[in-house]
Amino acid sequence: MKSVQVKELCLAYDGFQVVKGVDFTVAPGEVLGLIGPNGAGKSTLIRALSGVLPIQSGEVWVDGTDLGTLSDSQRARLIAVVPQAEPLGGAYTVRQAVMMGRTPYMNWMGNPGPRDQAFVKRALEFASLADLAGRRIAELSGGEQQRVLLARALAQDTPILLLDEPTSHLDLQHQINLLSLVRRLAKENHLAVLLAMHDLNGVSLCADRVALLVDGRLVALGAPDEVLTAENIAAAYRAQVEIIAHPRYGTPLVLPLQD
Amino acid sequence: MRLFSLTFAVLLAALILSVVLGAVWISPVSVLQIITDALPGVELSEVWSAAHAAIVLDIRLPHAILIALTGAALAGSGAAYQGLFRNPLADPYLIGVASGAGLGAVAAMAIHWPTELWNLYLIPAAAFLGAMLTIWLVYQLAKVRNIVPLTTLILAGVAVGSFASALTSFLMLRSDAQIYRAISFLLGGSPLTGWDPVLAVLPYVILGLGSLIFFGHPLNVLQFGEEQAKQMGVSVERVKIYVIVIASLTTAAAVAFSGVIGFVGLIVPHLFRLLGGPDYRKLIPLSIIGGAAALLLADMLARVLLAPSSLPVGIVTALAGAPFFLWILRRAKREVFW
Repeated sequence: MKSVQVKELCLAYDGFQVVKGVDFTVAPGEVLGLIGPNGAGKSTLIRALSGVLPIQSGEVWVDGTDLGTLSDSQRARLIAVVPQAEPLGGAYTVRQAVMMGRTPYMNWMGNPGPRDQAFVKRALEFASLADLAGRRIAELSGGEQQRVLLARALAQDTPILLLDEPTSHLDLQHQINLLSLVRRLAKENHLAVLLAMHDLNGVSLCADRVALLVDGRLVALGAPDEVLTAENIAAAYRAQVEIIAHPRYGTPLVLPLQD
Repeated sequence: MRLFSLTFAVLLAALILSVVLGAVWISPVSVLQIITDALPGVELSEVWSAAHAAIVLDIRLPHAILIALTGAALAGSGAAYQGLFRNPLADPYLIGVASGAGLGAVAAMAIHWPTELWNLYLIPAAAFLGAMLTIWLVYQLAKVRNIVPLTTLILAGVAVGSFASALTSFLMLRSDAQIYRAISFLLGGSPLTGWDPVLAVLPYVILGLGSLIFFGHPLNVLQFGEEQAKQMGVSVERVKIYVIVIASLTTAAAVAFSGVIGFVGLIVPHLFRLLGGPDYRKLIPLSIIGGAAALLLADMLARVLLAPSSLPVGIVTALAGAPFFLWILRRAKREVFW
């Protein structure tokens, strides 16, 4: 059974068509990389899959259930999101923020039980935030804040993880750490991961399959070396590139060429 | 927990002091004895005069309790509004509720009712009606399809609030009699005395504040933005409607029975955010207790400053509140609260 199944999905903002009939699946244990130029509809897709944006037409099935029939807290027990970093909730401590990931399991009073504490502790350790747990979010660097968002999503303990540009504020070390963390989550915990990212080489290293979204349509879907071809990139991004194989892993590397 | 006990101690002290203070001196000990004696099942040997007992039980105690309930209602709903709108300036005024309640009350005052008794019950009812109409109007104006974005809500609130205030001024200029009373009401001078207003306001405040306390956690999650809150499983639209309606009803009840009193709903939650952190599960109850204490203290000042005559308490909260607010603003520039 597929964790995420998207059929003929169309999405619109104010009548303006953004996603135009998209089909794909994400299986448990799989990382699907979602790439495409700015405005292609990547974030829109993630907003719809996480229940924030209503679906115009088409179907989204999560864990065998129609997304539209789930309540907010039911959905939040299946799908967690690492959003694009925004400086919000800065007055809370890292631990408080990560604990909010447990919201779908807590009552309205939000009093954590031992299970919630355990998940938060694990998520903090996983994102190497244990030492920063007592610090306020506003005092952290952009990269640390992004790890807080990841830890919060992990604490949510969902079979599906959606990430929207999770490495945009990270330096090289933390980019590599985060991507290998995401891959470990998929492989060891059998999470279905949808990873929207601009960094094509990052996607190539991290994703099992890649979906190329251009102007609201999926123009290519397959293994990284099938999708990340010079022709596909040229057509999608209007940029000349050369593709070589990674000397160590054989995965495609995208090298930009000068005009 | 220490902050809770401390705030509660301040509230108790303010409550007792408020009953002790007045034109006739009644010692704190007598006050405590009179109140204890009045409790059902307690009988003390009377060492106080019947006149003192009447002053304490029929005038000062109900007045103090009404003031405390008003402060609690304004500060508690102020804290909830601030959390909901993620805006440090959010208070009952911002979304027009207080102005709407004021308009309702003044409209009722402008009409010559046959008896004084009608006034007692019709003015609060009209204030209530005004507040509910305002929320309904603001909500309809702010609605974009089925969602109410906070920005349009605040814009609509400010616009409708200004409109209501203008209508209130118009009514006051046109009406010949009652105008002093209307002005005094708008400045936060409680038009009602005795136990009747206390009993009338009590159910609204208890129900309203009692349910607002349960919204601490959703409000915490909401500080990360509506989208993220929804992604974490909070039914954002439902929380917004509940909090707006409950907080507005609570505010309207307070305005109806105590007049229009500003700054309490703004300052008290700020103060406790400084002292106790941003966790709304603590912030709302702390603001409720602290708001009661703060308004009692302001009320004492209002009675003492120009004794034997007394000022409307709204003037004192504005006089004390505005500089305090500026001080908070200065601090907020240096530190991050939001």
